Amino acid sequence: MSVLLSTIVFLPLAGALLVLLAGGRGDRPDREGTVRMLALVVSLVAFAATLFLWWRFNPGDPDFQFVESRTWLPQFGISYRLGVDGISLFLIVLTGFLTPLALLSSWQSVHKNVKLFSFFLLALESAMLGVFVATDLFLFYIFWDAVLIPMYFLIGIWGYERRIYAAVKFILYTMVGSILMLVAIIGLAYVHQSAAGTPSFNLLDLYGTTLSWPMEKWFFLAFALAFLIKVPLFPFHTWLPDAHVEAPTAGSVILAGVMLKMGTYGLLRFAFPLFPNAAHYYAPYIAALAVIGIVYGALVAMVQPDMKKLVAYSSVSHLGFVVLGLCTVTVYGLQGGVYQMLNHGVSTGGLFIVVGMLSDRRHTRLIAEYGGIKAVVPQLVAAFLLITLASIALPGMNGFIGEFLILLGAFKWSAWFAVFAATGVILSAVYMLWMFQRVNYGEITNEKNLRLADLSGREWAMMIPTVAMCIFMGVAPGVFLKPMEPSVLRTIDRINQVRLAAASPAAPAPAVKVGLTGGGGR
Amino acid sequence: MNSFAATIPILIVVLSAIAAMLAEAIRRPGERMYIAGFGLIGLVGAATASCFLWDSDAVSFGVVRADNFALFINIILCIIGILTMVFSHDVVERDGMPAGEYFALTLFAISGMMLMAAATDLLVIFLALEVLSLAVYVLTGLRRSNAAGAEAAFKYFLLGSFSSAFFLYGIAFAFTIAGSTRLDVIGTAIASSQNSANSPLPLFAVGLLAVGFSFKVSAVPFHMWTPDAYEGAPTIVTAFMSTGVKAAAFGAFVRVFLSTLEPMQGQWVPALSVIAAATMILGSVVGVMQNNIKRMLAYSSIAHAGYLLLGIVAANSAGKAAVLFYLLTYAVANLGALGIVALLGTAEHPHDQLRDFAGLWQSRPALAGLMTVFLLSLGGFPPTAGFIGKWYIFSAAVQDGHYWLAVIGVLSSVVSVFFYLRIVVMMYMTEEPGAPARPVLSMPAMAALGFAVIATFYLGVLPSRVLDYALQSIQTIF
Repeated sequence: MSVLLSTIVFLPLAGALLVLLAGGRGDRPDREGTVRMLALVVSLVAFAATLFLWWRFNPGDPDFQFVESRTWLPQFGISYRLGVDGISLFLIVLTGFLTPLALLSSWQSVHKNVKLFSFFLLALESAMLGVFVATDLFLFYIFWDAVLIPMYFLIGIWGYERRIYAAVKFILYTMVGSILMLVAIIGLAYVHQSAAGTPSFNLLDLYGTTLSWPMEKWFFLAFALAFLIKVPLFPFHTWLPDAHVEAPTAGSVILAGVMLKMGTYGLLRFAFPLFPNAAHYYAPYIAALAVIGIVYGALVAMVQPDMKKLVAYSSVSHLGFVVLGLCTVTVYGLQGGVYQMLNHGVSTGGLFIVVGMLSDRRHTRLIAEYGGIKAVVPQLVAAFLLITLASIALPGMNGFIGEFLILLGAFKWSAWFAVFAATGVILSAVYMLWMFQRVNYGEITNEKNLRLADLSGREWAMMIPTVAMCIFMGVAPGVFLKPMEPSVLRTIDRINQVRLAAASPAAPAPAVKVGLTGGGGR
Repeated sequence: MNSFAATIPILIVVLSAIAAMLAEAIRRPGERMYIAGFGLIGLVGAATASCFLWDSDAVSFGVVRADNFALFINIILCIIGILTMVFSHDVVERDGMPAGEYFALTLFAISGMMLMAAATDLLVIFLALEVLSLAVYVLTGLRRSNAAGAEAAFKYFLLGSFSSAFFLYGIAFAFTIAGSTRLDVIGTAIASSQNSANSPLPLFAVGLLAVGFSFKVSAVPFHMWTPDAYEGAPTIVTAFMSTGVKAAAFGAFVRVFLSTLEPMQGQWVPALSVIAAATMILGSVVGVMQNNIKRMLAYSSIAHAGYLLLGIVAANSAGKAAVLFYLLTYAVANLGALGIVALLGTAEHPHDQLRDFAGLWQSRPALAGLMTVFLLSLGGFPPTAGFIGKWYIFSAAVQDGHYWLAVIGVLSSVVSVFFYLRIVVMMYMTEEPGAPARPVLSMPAMAALGFAVIATFYLGVLPSRVLDYALQSIQTIF
């Protein structure tokens, strides 16, 4: 049995403990440099390990690879099961990619107890990686919940003025959803136990569990609520702007870059294939919310005076696209959705880093405080421009591929959804470019902006990989889409196998109808 | 089988209590004496004896049965006792409590708790209940000069006696039905009476016994005494009684309701479901409004009683084992959290207000870290013990079809997370106000906290073995 996945998951945590030891007792500013370097090296090693995983990954295999399975709590049928397929592979790589950037982004802004900061960030990486590789529902839930604690501390200790409010809101909001999922997980496993005789929380065993329609409906709603809050889908998004605005840059990068994807990943991996009838039944409703979110997020983003809040609302809009893509249950929609998760991670992560760089220099994120800074910091603005263009899905940049595929899938599924969603593409260009213009062009109105420093070496080190990825993913999508495809097809098969509900034969009737149209993408 | 074997752990604790009393008697005024040592020896001895008795199913005098169920609770009580002894060593003198009386009473209370969990006769359960209650009443008011303590003790005593009377009345009804107070005889009598006449007597018996137990585990609406008693008592006593009394009372509760009164499930499950739901909701919602940590943790303990009741309501084997496991996880975490509060307090400055914890992280990072782990465990976060405990309880409830209770349970646990996090916010995210004098912890106290934290993680990450023991423990109580 390969231990590669366990190594990847627990390497950052081991590094985090090492950082804690190296940092000495209490807050030791003299060891700040050591701690930072150590944390960075650990995160880079973890990134290298995820790249190694990609290299060894067999792109033709739709099933879980590098599977690990150890008995853990035999009383409940719970095992320590890990596996990776084409869908989770790139999310793992993305996590590995963004964590060093997040560490770098806080190089200047975080000075309070760097040891603990690095500890939480690395522990967070472990938990997030665990979410993407766990194939046992119990284990998945543990990682899912464990993510909250380090993020809570990151926002609450190193955030801005209203950090405590934001941290508590973040943790309570996400917990309400996920804890109902816990009940559904228990219920699902119990139904499976009644049918199969032995308890099991293994995802592969639970796929295809026959449920009565009311049960399937409730379980699906509990799962969906947990994931949709995390995404966050309109109208469950209100925690996100607060969390983003108050979080330190590193927290925002991880939050937008990886944590939001845990929600969409959960839909794709758990909620839809575990409860296919309910998924088909509710997909139009969820898609409708997604479309509302796309337009609403874009409109609200447009009027934000705060850059960080603007980017936060743009996330609501962009993630709406991802959810829409998943709801179509077509090859294009799913591939586009997964691809857009990666794009959003890179480009929005990049945007938050840029905003963080500006805020490091000026200690404000208000758009009105800037203006005309292109003349002062041309390099920074060049990077800013490229990432902005990636975010608004300019052809040739990564965002274009994702949104195009999603809209293609949505159009095949239901044209109206696609039409309304497409307005979001236009609106995103409006709010992003307008913001970009107000910040960077025109006359310098605020004389504090005259003496800004341009990109430092450390900042180049963050911008080059981000911009390179935006362009690379825009021109060579096949590199990512091909290994994804077998797993995406397998997931679609799982979602489309409409099962006869045992208890109520009448209920799934609408589900079958949607299911047939949903199959049109094949 | 008429042997003494089943009472050995209890006897050891009683002996150590007597030793503590004698030591106090011969102690010269002003002489320092490690009376806690007697307690430690006694408790370690009792724990060892319990381990030796495992699987023996010894019965003494027909009324005390050292089955695995009782022994599991014995071990929990020994852990509670040992941690309390070690913490007490730091705080008893500092809080102005008479050391000899304190340790003797605590040990007597533990012996009563052990007896309560092992008794198989309603009268012996009552006897044990009184032994532990009287000791705890006195412990609550041990600081005689403290007005709040005296008030708390008086309230606790008055309401407690009241509930004891209910309990006794219930025993009388049970005796009327069966002609005996033995649990097995009552069980047979109730099972046969279920089939025949519609006599109201069994209902009275069940109702009154439930009231008595509900009072001791502080379930709504019999919880009124809890916040006052917990706030007024010396913090270390709060830590001890919030865990010990609960463990003993739930032990007897499970034994009486899930084996003797099991035939009447149809009657008492609905009533206890309502009580469980109300207890979970009230405990967590009212806890949010507290600014005194002891009161806050009192409401938290009410909420936890609600979760434990869920295990009884589930009325299946998973539920019984879940109650045992949950008691253990709750004991470790709650004792750890309240232990820290106690260790940081002094007679002048009790350190029990929320704002006292401001900036603890800056001056005592290790202590803040430990406190965080205990609070997260109480809140049910993975990978701590509390998560596995809640998981087990809720899966027992779901297996029995109580989806709504499980949903209420998980939602109220989110609410309770809010107030646990208030303490975390204070410790980490609020600046330290000046320099409040916080006493330095002794090495043994730190070691005990270290043990509690290791246990919290061990039960959260590798609970398999302990779960097995819990499952073995419930084989015998049918």
